[in-house]
Amino acid sequence: MTVPTSTEPDVAGPRDEESGSPTPERGASPLARVIRSLLTQRVVLLAVLVVAVVVYFILLGQNDYLTGAYDFDYMSAALINAVPLAMLGFAELFVILSGRGGIDLSVGAIVSLAGMVFGFAYGQWGWPLGVAILGTVLVGGVLGLLNGILIAYVGFPALIATLATYYAFKSLAVVINNQRPISTRPIQDLYESTARSVELPVIGSYIPDLPKGLFLFLLPTVIVVWLLLARTTYGRRVYAIGTNDVAARWSAIDVRVTRATAYALSGTISGLVAVVTVGQFASARPDAGVSGNGMALPAITIAVLGGVAITGGIGRVSGIVLATVLIVWTNAGIRLAFEGNAGPQNQLLALGLLLVLAALLNGFAVRRYGGAG
Amino acid sequence: MSVEMETRSPAPRPTQTAKGRLRVLAPPVTGQEFVLIGVIAVLWILLAFATPAFMSAGSIQPLLGAVAPIALIGIGMTVVIITGGIDVSVGAMIAVCSVITAKLVLVQAGLGLPVALLIAIVVGGVLGLGNGALIAYGRVHAIIITFGTANIFLWISLRLFNSSTVNNIPDTLAPLGNGAAGRTLGVPNSFLVTVVLVAIAWFYLRHTAGGRHFYAIGGDPLAAQLAGVKVRQRVLVAYLLTGLLTGLASCIVVAQGSNLGQNVGNGKELAVIAAVVIGGTSITGGRGSVLGTVLGALLVQTVASGVTQLGWRSELSDLFVGIAIIIAVGADLIRERARRKR
Repeated sequence: MTVPTSTEPDVAGPRDEESGSPTPERGASPLARVIRSLLTQRVVLLAVLVVAVVVYFILLGQNDYLTGAYDFDYMSAALINAVPLAMLGFAELFVILSGRGGIDLSVGAIVSLAGMVFGFAYGQWGWPLGVAILGTVLVGGVLGLLNGILIAYVGFPALIATLATYYAFKSLAVVINNQRPISTRPIQDLYESTARSVELPVIGSYIPDLPKGLFLFLLPTVIVVWLLLARTTYGRRVYAIGTNDVAARWSAIDVRVTRATAYALSGTISGLVAVVTVGQFASARPDAGVSGNGMALPAITIAVLGGVAITGGIGRVSGIVLATVLIVWTNAGIRLAFEGNAGPQNQLLALGLLLVLAALLNGFAVRRYGGAG
Repeated sequence: MSVEMETRSPAPRPTQTAKGRLRVLAPPVTGQEFVLIGVIAVLWILLAFATPAFMSAGSIQPLLGAVAPIALIGIGMTVVIITGGIDVSVGAMIAVCSVITAKLVLVQAGLGLPVALLIAIVVGGVLGLGNGALIAYGRVHAIIITFGTANIFLWISLRLFNSSTVNNIPDTLAPLGNGAAGRTLGVPNSFLVTVVLVAIAWFYLRHTAGGRHFYAIGGDPLAAQLAGVKVRQRVLVAYLLTGLLTGLASCIVVAQGSNLGQNVGNGKELAVIAAVVIGGTSITGGRGSVLGTVLGALLVQTVASGVTQLGWRSELSDLFVGIAIIIAVGADLIRERARRKR
């Protein structure tokens, strides 16, 4: 699944122009330093882009080019779309970080299947909400673990294993309830309790209302994922095996357990996303995670845009968060800028262009500065 | 590559016969392909007994017609994967090529078969060239670039569809379709075209220097570069080829119906990749054959056709496709391990 074709042949050729040495830090002009941090620090670039997008759309709005107001209320309401997107971005973060062509194409299918399980448990069998959520997350984890075992223990390339389980899970999700969605009373009521916008206590009157899902699901996930990756030995192990598999084994890291766990975590997060999606749609749909373009594609896009190196070992939580915000607010603006179907269609174009440009920029930054931050 | 290693190695193992040492290429039909042929044969026999309708022309002909586009694109995808890359944009590419062919060329302009074919193939070629240029010269990971271009292609196709399906497509492309005009001696023309192109690709990849270069790149791009292979140019050609074949396959897709929905091509990229990996092509590059890809596509379609004819839910076929991928690639992994131990 690797494409060494793209970068490695150049090793034989001459190195890129003047700044062949990777550390022109001292003595460089301020402008050069700004450009350097823009190119190598993905977080800086994303932050600048977010501000640019927001300012652009607000200006458009003030000059009456938009069909609605692009104000802070609209922007915060749009953040509900960020919840599943960012969470699946974290799922991809774990598996891509773990290296050796790590990727998870099955996240959308897991969302569908776990969502149906949640629909049964909460909507039909009448389990208490907490137990149903726990069960759904567990199912997601087990499905992810299946990927992990295939990849880390049996030795399947990640792309193939998750392609196979994508097909299998997708099919099971449809067959399990004869293609019918589950939208009983308790499921419909979920929308009220998970997706609606609420006013925050204390500071709520000063800032716009924010969707509940942000606090119920996204924020805890961000914190847990960040703690796990940046503050635990498990996180360091994931970075280690992603950077160099063999070196990690020689430093007494159990590479297989670590990698399998990364896929299990990806499945776990997908299970949680299943709950979010059911709440958002007020219905457990068998094709929730795979309809249209599916959920895996946007999730991988978010990860790559957020600066996660597809070769493993490089990637940060903050990058994923900023990339999600960028995509969500760009999409929100595009929805207002075009009427009818042109809006959602142009979102595809924006997503594609962003991804291609981010990838090209990554390649350029690596060649010019020798390794992106 | 393996040629030189074998002949130059200072002390060949004593048990090796002269024949073994001189063998340059993998056998014409590899183990994986024999297994696939066996599995397909068993499936066909079982299905013939389970549903008498399966062995009728009315069932086999559409099956072969459905194999054709997947196998055609599979030729290009096999070459791409042999070089160590991947192209996940072919589904969106089908959408672009087929909407241009159906809506602009056939319905609006009313042009003939040769022009329609030419335009579809050229459009596919241009899209493939875009992918190839970005991957070979932008030097970016293929999966990321093609995910990106897939979105852009999808945008192009949806703009062209303009929020409505294309209806009443004239039967200009009937010679490639599912009707009586689309068959020669009872075999769908689309499948015959596929067989011919697969044969050419099989020979090219196996017996010409240009074909072997793809394997060299997939095995080790740096070594290939040092051995004088024009790596970037060959990579570009691989994606271009995929684009051209996708254009041709789109004509078959258009020919097989009188309407064209906006979701045409949806998920086809995964179907093609599935056919390629079931056919024994290594996703890490350097190994694979187009013959396996055709067999892989045939297996997938047999399963899909069998599931519907047994009266099971058609969605269940995806489950079997998943299982088939696991078994096929798993068997390959086990054989690979055995090879290494020997």
